[in-house]
Amino acid sequence: MTLPDNRPFAIRHFAPAALREALKKMYLIRRFEEGAEDSYMRGLIHGTMHLSIGQEASAMATCMELTDNDKITSTHRGHGHCIAKGAEVGRMFAEFFGKETGYCHGRGGSMHIADVKTGNLGANGIVGGGLPIAVGAALSAKRLGKSDVTVCFFGDGANNEGAFHEALNMAAVWKLPVIFVCENNGYGMSTSTARSTAVTHIADRAAAYAMPGVTVDGNDFSAVAFAMHTAIARARAGEGPSLVENLTYRWRGHSKSDRNRYRSKDEIEDWMTRDPIARFRAELIAHGILDEAGAEAVAAEAIADVQAGIEFARSSTAPSISEVTRYVYAEV
Amino acid sequence: MPVEVILPKVDMDMTHGTLAVWHVAEGEMVQKGAALFDIETDKAAMEVEAPASGSLHHITAQPGDKVAVGTIVAWLYAKDEAVGAAPLTAAAKQDAPPPVTVALPADITPPLSAPSFPPPQAEALAQRATPSARHAARSAGIALERVRGSGPLGRVQRDDVTAFLQSAPQTPATAPWVPQSGPLHISRRKGQGLPLVLFHGFTADSQSWAPLEKALGPQQPLIRIDLPGHGKSPRRRIAGFAELARMVVEAFDEATREHDKVHLLGHSLGGAMALALADIRGRKLASLSLISPAGLGPEVDADALAGIVRASRAESLAPWLRRLTATPDGISDDYARAAMAPRKDPAMRAAQADMTAALFPDGVQAFDLRPALQRIEAPTQILWGRQDHILPYRHALAADGDFAIHLLKGAGHIPQIECPDRVARIVQRLIAGCDAPV
Amino acid sequence: MNAQAPTDLRTLSYAEAIREAMAIAMEADPTVILMGEDIGVYGGAFQVTLDLIDRFGPDRVMDTPISELGGAGVAVGAALTGLKPIFEFQFSDFAMLAMEQIVNQAAKLRYMLGGEASVPVVFRLPAGSGTGAAAQHSQSIEAWFGHVPGLKVLQPATPEDAKGMLLAALADPDPVMIFEHKLLYKMKGHVPAGSYLTPIGKALLRRAGTDVTIVAGSIMLHRALEAAEKLAAEGISAEVIDLRSIRPIDHETILASVRKTGRLMVVYEGVKAFGVGAEISAMVAESDAFDYLDAPILRLGGADAPVPYNPDLERASVPQVDTIEAAARRLVRREV
Repeated sequence: MTLPDNRPFAIRHFAPAALREALKKMYLIRRFEEGAEDSYMRGLIHGTMHLSIGQEASAMATCMELTDNDKITSTHRGHGHCIAKGAEVGRMFAEFFGKETGYCHGRGGSMHIADVKTGNLGANGIVGGGLPIAVGAALSAKRLGKSDVTVCFFGDGANNEGAFHEALNMAAVWKLPVIFVCENNGYGMSTSTARSTAVTHIADRAAAYAMPGVTVDGNDFSAVAFAMHTAIARARAGEGPSLVENLTYRWRGHSKSDRNRYRSKDEIEDWMTRDPIARFRAELIAHGILDEAGAEAVAAEAIADVQAGIEFARSSTAPSISEVTRYVYAEV
Repeated sequence: MPVEVILPKVDMDMTHGTLAVWHVAEGEMVQKGAALFDIETDKAAMEVEAPASGSLHHITAQPGDKVAVGTIVAWLYAKDEAVGAAPLTAAAKQDAPPPVTVALPADITPPLSAPSFPPPQAEALAQRATPSARHAARSAGIALERVRGSGPLGRVQRDDVTAFLQSAPQTPATAPWVPQSGPLHISRRKGQGLPLVLFHGFTADSQSWAPLEKALGPQQPLIRIDLPGHGKSPRRRIAGFAELARMVVEAFDEATREHDKVHLLGHSLGGAMALALADIRGRKLASLSLISPAGLGPEVDADALAGIVRASRAESLAPWLRRLTATPDGISDDYARAAMAPRKDPAMRAAQADMTAALFPDGVQAFDLRPALQRIEAPTQILWGRQDHILPYRHALAADGDFAIHLLKGAGHIPQIECPDRVARIVQRLIAGCDAPV
Repeated sequence: MNAQAPTDLRTLSYAEAIREAMAIAMEADPTVILMGEDIGVYGGAFQVTLDLIDRFGPDRVMDTPISELGGAGVAVGAALTGLKPIFEFQFSDFAMLAMEQIVNQAAKLRYMLGGEASVPVVFRLPAGSGTGAAAQHSQSIEAWFGHVPGLKVLQPATPEDAKGMLLAALADPDPVMIFEHKLLYKMKGHVPAGSYLTPIGKALLRRAGTDVTIVAGSIMLHRALEAAEKLAAEGISAEVIDLRSIRPIDHETILASVRKTGRLMVVYEGVKAFGVGAEISAMVAESDAFDYLDAPILRLGGADAPVPYNPDLERASVPQVDTIEAAARRLVRREV
């Protein structure tokens, strides 16, 4: 008789190389956002940005099983999604710096960061804006007879938008291959979910649309990965949509103008002890996927990539002023 | 009270003028508007009209006298007016100091109580007209105030302007004229080195080169050719640019018979002529300078051309002349009067009107010399005012060929008159470079 | 109405022409799908999609829930990923529920993504008054969308154009909104068979004249043509231009006509203020055609009120043949 395999789902399910790559990307997300924050403070980036530091496991574990043909729609807090889905940090920095080499040729910036070639249909500045679009992408896959799925990232704030309810309802009615992934970081800007949302768990709302809904620890890589594995399998099998709620926390404010009047220092520090990257790294070492030196090497690679990315962005050229109306319509 | 006769300022930068001849003798009667005397400036000779009707007295300037602008040179007495001693101010004579003006130091501003501009005139504000009517009036060179409006509150409509023009006496420009025969008029100035052949622009004549000739200095030999229907050349009927070019080539061959090589300079339509000539007589060319040349693109301010051709008096000519310079204040009313003098002949204006129709049908330059420009092998340069309102200087930028471009800031369509020294310097540089032994 | 076809020509109604266009497109391209409320067995509120569900099945003729925002967004997402959806709003008024997806998403996605994506969605919007449906089912809001870079906004006035514009919209890689006037659905006219494209952004001279230019689109074109016919009897020669496309707008056709006639009237059903008339008037005032104006520009638009219910009030709230005729007469006779 064989003993049951008690190792976490991710360790059991993914190859060591994939797990190492996942850790690298989580570091990359963290260092990218720190680099962006630093560049912002140096005046190299204008506008604002919404950082997801502290939510890296949710982004990365959600995208583990996705291919470039699978689509995601992202949110204003979308840097992590973009990197997890496969974007290069150099072209992301270039976009943040407003350069022609950026993913959106300097027209989108942080809030519309996208990489259509790796299936990222774009971050969205409108809360809930991506929900119906994700359903539409899933409809395309189904009509065109593809097995692709669409993952729709949204925040806890979006679950009170009408678009959320309309989108979930249609996805369920038409049994579309879409997974709604709520990154519940506890606050829609300053308003907590307790004050804004009638249900305890946003996943509870899945029942209203006759789809499975689960709430998981969003800082636990393996927990998220397992929930997604189940939901993606259901979607690919043509059984319809699911709702996955990742409980997590953003260490930084809502945006760069947040003065943090609505959260206590204790609360933030408590969540910082639950750092998803440190947790995943420890797990990989504990199960012999990496040793300390290997983990350090992964972290160092991320730093090097970010430095090279910033350099690429700085040395890139800005769009021509005369092309301000370029890309409004298709060029004939 | 007798009316004073002054020596008028007829040129942009004129301070003095030389009285050439009196057309009326002391004590003779003269009608207002009749020719009274001629003056010569360093740029042109022109006729001054009597400012009032009456008998001429107290002449203070004789032919050959150099007189400051604004000086009183005589008085006109009305028919029954007693002629006494010359009024006091008539003491001003040749070499009299110019009228005294008190110059304010730059840092002193006039007191606030002084009205800085006249109150708006109710009448001026009351003139209502549609954009179309204004445009029609502008094009015809008539003052809108002369037209009675038939629209609401007396608004002048396009029809009102049309009706006004039809009721007005036929403008001489549309009068029939008799073509003349004979060769084009050629005039020369001797000097040293290869001669510079000059082609003036449309509606101008060889006299218009005076400022540039002075700036070029007396050593430069010159050959000037008046275009058909211009200056002293016979009025010819031409069917189009090609025919005009044929006449010009003929005159050029005649004028340059004794020379192996010449330098060529043309302005505006004369520039197009020079280009056409250079294409046919390339081997005879030492250098080619073109000032605001026509023929390098379709656009032209056709309203201005038509306006100048049509104008039968200084008042209707002046607004159009003001388009020739970089800023309207480059042309004074006196200058306009002087410019009108050689244009008094209705037959000449009629001939030029027909030429406008042949060369610029529908307000477009109907000839294209860009291919000719590309073929020219002689050293070539184009001078163009950046504020040229008649022909756009971008024509030069868009053209292809081996030529240099000089864009003159602060100059309009006639840089050879607006800044003759500068134009002369540029032309001389090219001439000097080409005359130098190889 | 005009566009009376000779008997030997094929005649269809405006609604039939639109349906034929959809059928041609669906036959030719399996990625074309229809979405909207009650467009399946019900055939659409105005019977435009009648029987298409029988021919193409419920997977391609999709009844949506009453979810305008979500439905429009699904169409946008589908367009972004390989389908060519034609989304029917039951009434153009309901597009206001979907403004977010139309204006923030469909119109801007290509630009936000630096040209890396296309949204080839077509929105069909039954518009206009005259049916007694009052304030929330009778509006003409096409000008709102004229203000949005990234959209194309069309207004077919004839069955022929209704078909050609829909096929042109489907061939266009950008989002297109087609405002169909409800009173025109039953109008008959010659419609060529087969596939053809009516160029987007081109106005059409429908009647030549010399005294005044009347620019009108959709049903207002027919009222303007009728007014022009009456004016001709008293010696006034009106030139009538079918605007056809609000965005992009055809500057040259309008300016050329104004240069010719010297007078301009713009007739439209939307509220007069801040509308199509303002844009066209300003465009003329800013152009060289200004110099050819021989009278003030006149706008005839909808009343400054919601569309009323009472039939006489409703009629009075938008330009009619007699009001167009009277205004043109005053303009030509210099009474304005």
